Amino acid sequence: MKTIQRFAYPIFFAVMAILPHVLDSRWQAVAITFLIFAVVALSQDIILGKSGMFNMGQALFFGLGAYTTAILNNEYGWSIIATIPLAILIPAVCGVLLAGPIVHLRGDYLLVTTIGFNIVFVQVVQNNLGGITGGPNGIFGLDSLSFYGIDLTSQVSVYYFAFAVLLLTLGIMRNLAGSKAGRAMHYLREDQLAAESIGINTRIYKIFAFALGAGIAGLAGTVFAVQYSAVSPEAFDFIQSVLFFSIVIVGGSSVPGVLIGVFVMFVLPEIFREFATWRFFIFGFAMIAAMILRPRGIIPATFGKIPKFLIKENNHGA
Amino acid sequence: MDIFLQQLANGLTIGSMFALVALGYTMVYGVMRLINFAHGDMVAASAFVGLTIYTHVTGQATSLAAVVAIFLLSAVVMAVLGVVLERVAYRPLREAPRLSAVVSALGASLVIQNGIMLIWGPRMRIFPELVPQVYWDFGGVVISLIQVIILVLSLVLMIALYLFVEKTRIGAAIRASSIDQDAARLMGINVNSIIALIFIIGSSLGAVGGLFIGLYYRGITFNMGWQYGLYAFVAAIIGGIGNIPGAMLGGMLLGLFNAFIAGYVSSTWADAFTFILLIVILIIRPTGILGERVAEKV
Repeated sequence: MKTIQRFAYPIFFAVMAILPHVLDSRWQAVAITFLIFAVVALSQDIILGKSGMFNMGQALFFGLGAYTTAILNNEYGWSIIATIPLAILIPAVCGVLLAGPIVHLRGDYLLVTTIGFNIVFVQVVQNNLGGITGGPNGIFGLDSLSFYGIDLTSQVSVYYFAFAVLLLTLGIMRNLAGSKAGRAMHYLREDQLAAESIGINTRIYKIFAFALGAGIAGLAGTVFAVQYSAVSPEAFDFIQSVLFFSIVIVGGSSVPGVLIGVFVMFVLPEIFREFATWRFFIFGFAMIAAMILRPRGIIPATFGKIPKFLIKENNHGA
Repeated sequence: MDIFLQQLANGLTIGSMFALVALGYTMVYGVMRLINFAHGDMVAASAFVGLTIYTHVTGQATSLAAVVAIFLLSAVVMAVLGVVLERVAYRPLREAPRLSAVVSALGASLVIQNGIMLIWGPRMRIFPELVPQVYWDFGGVVISLIQVIILVLSLVLMIALYLFVEKTRIGAAIRASSIDQDAARLMGINVNSIIALIFIIGSSLGAVGGLFIGLYYRGITFNMGWQYGLYAFVAAIIGGIGNIPGAMLGGMLLGLFNAFIAGYVSSTWADAFTFILLIVILIIRPTGILGERVAEKV
């Protein structure tokens, strides 16, 4: 098991790096989708898994990023690359503004409020507020990726763009786990009162977690807009948030668990296309079974290098 | 003024349907501290079960006896389904981390919703006209017989439930279980039966709500459970979740609010306004209108 763990990441990265050259264009598209949704699920994990806040509105931040890129490109003629800073910043700032008044709410209330934000967002976009969101049809016909005049139109270059974003996300999460902020978030998830009593400003770190998760989801939104060269309201529906939420919990809020969850949720249906109508019926049963058999997730997260004897049984996890 | 009175009547009708569904959420939450995400889909399923009973069991009759039979049979079917749901998806997770139970509830919701789609098809079905189309016109304000029936029957059911929970021994056991399950067990209450009972009551009230939705809106779709379920859940939270009169009050308030938004602003903004109302209420009163203020436990 130890050796598997040591080699799993290098093998995973190596496979992902050569993957687009062995796939045909349909499966390249599936692989890009996997990368995009993996980034969103990991960003959800920062808020839900790492900090323990019941957020069920992650598609909102994902959508904000995608719409920022789409609107800036389509209405104002910015190049896609130039929209990236704002596609990260706008969701992050929205994360701070939305989370600010509600982070004190307890568990389920927070959950319903974040669902509410998601639904309000979709309705605003659908009703074409300000005349720039394209209404129910969304915005289509975005420019393709280019960088200082070098055209990156091919699907392989989009793949590597998405892969770079995933690597960046994994890097951020790795650094976070070893940082002061990451430890603070972990404590507040385990026991908010204890965290406060040892001097952690839980409010600041909760808002920080929302801002970070929102920013990363926004960046994934840019990749989404590039890949489909279009954005539409139903791609960021509250049902999507439910799927991201379930992926993080079923996966156990660990990186391999979340990646497996994204694979099962978004790649397997492409393989078993003839069962498309049965998809969610089967997933529903799978979610119930997974939770009953492994209540802490398929691969439960472990935190840092705490010696085993210090961790009480049942004390680790949401 | 006409718009006001008309929307008042419509709002009370919608509100009583929300309240019936909200009761299922709030009772389960009160005892299990779990958002039963599958409840909305149970409500949707009930409308389809009612449709099938109408076509295949009662032979498309619209006599009073046939209508009563449809309501009773649907309620029984949904009550059984509710007990099965609790037994399969929730009971094994009672000691598990809370989010695991939430995901299990979401899974159950997907199973029921897509089960409806696989059985009855993805297209909209038309609910039978069980109640004659009778309208009364009060100087521009039109009230239908269906509205009156929905309002009166909902009120009767809610008052009956309130009396049952407040005045009977079993009701006292329900209240005790929702305050402290372990203490209730020490007092000789079989908490498992109480939870099963709550699913029976909640699901049959939801079944009535689902049939009302079919009667009132006529068009029923397999995925309507999310929509009505979410609204009813919001109603339960506005009233103070876990609190039975709170769910009734929250349902009525939300119904009226929705009707006035539809009447004076636009129905395309109804969702957004509903959730803005919820967020504002939660910021002002974090535990809802009738919810008790709970001190943070250490």
